[in-house]
Amino acid sequence: MQLYSPMSTTPKRAAIRAPALAKIDGLRIGILENGKLNAEEMLNEVAALFVQRHGCTVRTLASKKNASAPAPGNTLTSVAQEVDFLITGLGD
Amino acid sequence: MAALSPRIHEVPDDLLAAIDWCYEQGWTDGLPVVPPAVERVKAMLAADARPAETVICKHPATGLDLSLHAAAVNAVMAGCLPEHFPVLVAAYEAMDQEGFNFHGSTASTGGSAPLLIVSGPYADTIGMNSDVNLFGPGNRANATIGRATRLILRNVFQMLPGISDKSTQGNPGKYSLCIAERSRGNPWPLLCEAQGYPKGTSSVTCYAAGGFCNVENHGGNTPEQVLGSVADAMANYGCITLGQSVVILAPEHMQIVADAGWSRERAQHFLFSAAKRSVEGMTDVGKYRDREYETQHGIGAHALAEKGYIHRGLNPEDILITMGGGDAGGHSCFLPSWSRGRGSIMQHKPITVRS
Repeated sequence: MQLYSPMSTTPKRAAIRAPALAKIDGLRIGILENGKLNAEEMLNEVAALFVQRHGCTVRTLASKKNASAPAPGNTLTSVAQEVDFLITGLGD
Repeated sequence: MAALSPRIHEVPDDLLAAIDWCYEQGWTDGLPVVPPAVERVKAMLAADARPAETVICKHPATGLDLSLHAAAVNAVMAGCLPEHFPVLVAAYEAMDQEGFNFHGSTASTGGSAPLLIVSGPYADTIGMNSDVNLFGPGNRANATIGRATRLILRNVFQMLPGISDKSTQGNPGKYSLCIAERSRGNPWPLLCEAQGYPKGTSSVTCYAAGGFCNVENHGGNTPEQVLGSVADAMANYGCITLGQSVVILAPEHMQIVADAGWSRERAQHFLFSAAKRSVEGMTDVGKYRDREYETQHGIGAHALAEKGYIHRGLNPEDILITMGGGDAGGHSCFLPSWSRGRGSIMQHKPITVRS
């Protein structure tokens, strides 16, 4: 008996990771909060650790309205010009 | 992007062994599947004249695409007949629209199940159930179209329970959740008509449903009493959010509402007005948020949004209401949205037979 595989028959679209940072000391941090309860508080705590341990500075707080959808392109473009790396995560 | 050739597996020529083999591959939802034999898949594909590699839906997070071929394989596995295939295809074309937020609703802890509501004459053409035991069991089209929807999420988009599907408790609808809108005796325009499709065109509406809540009322004799019970379910502290709602009125309840001259729009307005909780109450249970209150009461707020209260949804149009179920019984239902806000908006598409 011959069975077809039920898996996707189209190639997986390529996803590109940003290169790893060579160092984090003294870098500029952005925070992207997702609107979930406690998100901003949790991300601020994480950012504070980078400030305390690595001398980073928090430059911007961006928000997105839909926690489970990608951030709007213009939000990311704008933030990317101001910071070296961005912290985001769920906050339920 | 060109499609890869569909992979074919040689398995022993024994049906029961093939069912077990499908289990071993991790292709099932826990129930036995129909082994997707090549000839059976080809018969399913004949229900859509487009090339088999045609992509009908893309999963934004996994980067995986759904082709007609892969949809047909999973439809066979679910037990669908070829005449069911146009509904499945239309459902995925609907969920491919950005507003549905395909990734969030399939990965979230919230345990969403895609509810499919088939409206219009095609439901009768393929023998769907819109009547007694609406949500099942017992009807092949309802059960298998809904099941195929879920198998695609698992097998094509790799939304695997515990790995990429992080539902805290899941949802029985994640096996299958597909119904037909009842046209017999329905006093209101069918959904497909309200959605603006030409006469004779059927549609499927897809909604990321968070569960199912029975609304029993055998004593109410007025629209306010019947719909008041529905509104209370919509506004219970466990369910109330700014998300959308689906309400399926039982024929008995619909008769009470429609005989009093109420239109769908009037019922929607009543439900939006009545499905609310006070800010104080929301605060007491820990669910109040300034941001949500401002969303509902700030610029663009609906006139029925009452100060000092959180309503379910943002406006009356957020509440889909129609009729379904058997003639006897004061049992309607409310299905809350998975989304707590605008994370997923219900979508619809016409059902097109392309064979």
